[in-house]
Amino acid sequence: MSDAALIPARLTPTPVRTIAAKDIRDALRDRFILIVTAFLGLAALVALVTGAIALRSDVATYEAAKATLLALGKSADAIKAPEFYPLRLLRGAIEQIEIIGAAIAILIGYRSAASERGRQTLALMLTRPMRRWQFVAGKALAGIGLLAGGLALVLGGLTLVLHFMSGIGLGADDLLRIAVVWGVAVAYTACFFLVSFILSLHMKQPSHALLVAFAVWLTLVLIAPQIGDTLDPDNQVAGGVFKQLNIAKPDQVEIMKGFATFETVRGGIEQASVTKHFERFTFAVLGIKATYAGMPLGPILTEMRGNLIWIFLTALGLIAIALALPLNPDRLAKA
Amino acid sequence: MQAAPSPGWLIARQSASFVLRERTVALLSGMFVVLVLISAWLGWSATSTVNRIYLDAAAFLQKSGQPVPSNPVLDISPLSLLRNMSVYVALIGALSAIVIGNRLVGLDRKAGVLPLIGIRPLGRNAYAAGKIAALAGLILALGAVAGAVAVATFLVLPAITLTGLQWTQLAGFMAVTTLYMAIFGLIGLAAGAGARSETVGLLLPVTLWLTLTFILPQLTANLNPTAAINPISALAIPPDTSFFHWAAVVLGPVSLADAYKFASAGLLDYLPQGIASPSFIPPVMTLILATAVAAAFAWRALTRLSMTEGEYNV
Repeated sequence: MSDAALIPARLTPTPVRTIAAKDIRDALRDRFILIVTAFLGLAALVALVTGAIALRSDVATYEAAKATLLALGKSADAIKAPEFYPLRLLRGAIEQIEIIGAAIAILIGYRSAASERGRQTLALMLTRPMRRWQFVAGKALAGIGLLAGGLALVLGGLTLVLHFMSGIGLGADDLLRIAVVWGVAVAYTACFFLVSFILSLHMKQPSHALLVAFAVWLTLVLIAPQIGDTLDPDNQVAGGVFKQLNIAKPDQVEIMKGFATFETVRGGIEQASVTKHFERFTFAVLGIKATYAGMPLGPILTEMRGNLIWIFLTALGLIAIALALPLNPDRLAKA
Repeated sequence: MQAAPSPGWLIARQSASFVLRERTVALLSGMFVVLVLISAWLGWSATSTVNRIYLDAAAFLQKSGQPVPSNPVLDISPLSLLRNMSVYVALIGALSAIVIGNRLVGLDRKAGVLPLIGIRPLGRNAYAAGKIAALAGLILALGAVAGAVAVATFLVLPAITLTGLQWTQLAGFMAVTTLYMAIFGLIGLAAGAGARSETVGLLLPVTLWLTLTFILPQLTANLNPTAAINPISALAIPPDTSFFHWAAVVLGPVSLADAYKFASAGLLDYLPQGIASPSFIPPVMTLILATAVAAAFAWRALTRLSMTEGEYNV
């Protein structure tokens, strides 16, 4: 009886699975993935803790002001109590995933493609009985799997900290929202992994590919949202232009109707970036954006499905490109 | 008879011309120049939009019989048109400088020419001085391009006239900008010379840049990463708690992105009243000290570079 017959069908190693398992083992062995995950975890934890400390300061200020008003025999209704939604404390952490998570995905993509080139093992691997797309699919599966694992660790750790730090604990609905954010974060970071992976696999010099991937990251993650944010008239004057002019919200909307074209261009620049879609989706799901705070998850997902489609279509499009581009082992020898 | 050029000068000239041939350096430097141009346009566009909003709002307030406040644009110095440049310098300028620094020594290591240079009649000090001089020349060139765009913006835009003091402030901003890029260039040089592998030599300074730009401002002023890249939102007052007070005391002096941000806001006249740098060391002094420390690291790494080994070890 052959060995293959002894292995149940579901465990039969396929080339894709073998390549993926090998890549994951390699990545865990050299501790690179653990180091970058720890870095992202640290950045996210710093964001969570500083946000919580700032909120505690706001609460203390409110309590002191309220006590003063009550001591003076006045009503405490004159001052607005700080709102507390525990998931809102994840804002900084989400922004760190948005920026540093995407940068880490680029590094994982680069290493995934460059490792075989550096060790001159690519040509050897391609002599094995497998199709070239299976090699690429295995590598991509491993990279996205590592990202998913790293993000699960980071978000899981943050959830635990938030549960014990918030004082009121997290419910099933909160955990579901964090799980949804995790899934979208995996798809979002996968986009950057795939950009870097494709470039590093096909450009002559892998180190040049890494720098080009960083240029893409700069443009999509930092520059496009920054331009959109900077062009927001309310961000031009400290405290906001309308606040300085003492103009109420309904009147602001009326005035801004005359700037529809400007706002369309501004919105277009922001929306050209997958990062902005990720931010809008996660901020809505977690209630970070005030209009979505306390809203059930279902209607939020319906309203945000455009952002969700954008993120997943970007990732799927990049997967298609990665699988479709022909591999040239001669060109991909160590540069 | 003309005197032969010094070894340091030869190294500097050869390294700079070698790096300029690199397509990635050209790509990032090109991006930096384009973004500097965009920053000038953004400043003009955003300010003129606020002015138009004010005119519409003033008409609206007048019609509804409410008092009309003063135009916030009139309170803004013309220099603040360039406020976005400080963000792009902190992002792409710093990253370009890291890559230039890294490539200056990385190309020699990768090409395996160090043993060849080592047998020439020049000391390690001349090699180190040549590399640092090449970096200084390239960073100065980037700074000069940014400066030329800034000057051209103020000369071309109508109805904007700078006073003598404002021109001096602009020169100061360009000097601080060049200094900030030089710090990251020197860190890139040090990491490129000291790291065992090419990738680590690039990743170490990039990690440091990420930490300085996105993590330290959160600790010193509770500033979220996306706020840190908006020139106005980045100038927030830290929460009044003992944690942020001590974080500013301990981390303020090393929070270089904060120092550059506050130095730029001060020089370009967009620092809101009552807001100051979280550090007890003045921002410009922080940047000067950081340049000296980064230069010392670069010098140490370059003078300890093994001239007997050709390539990277791994």
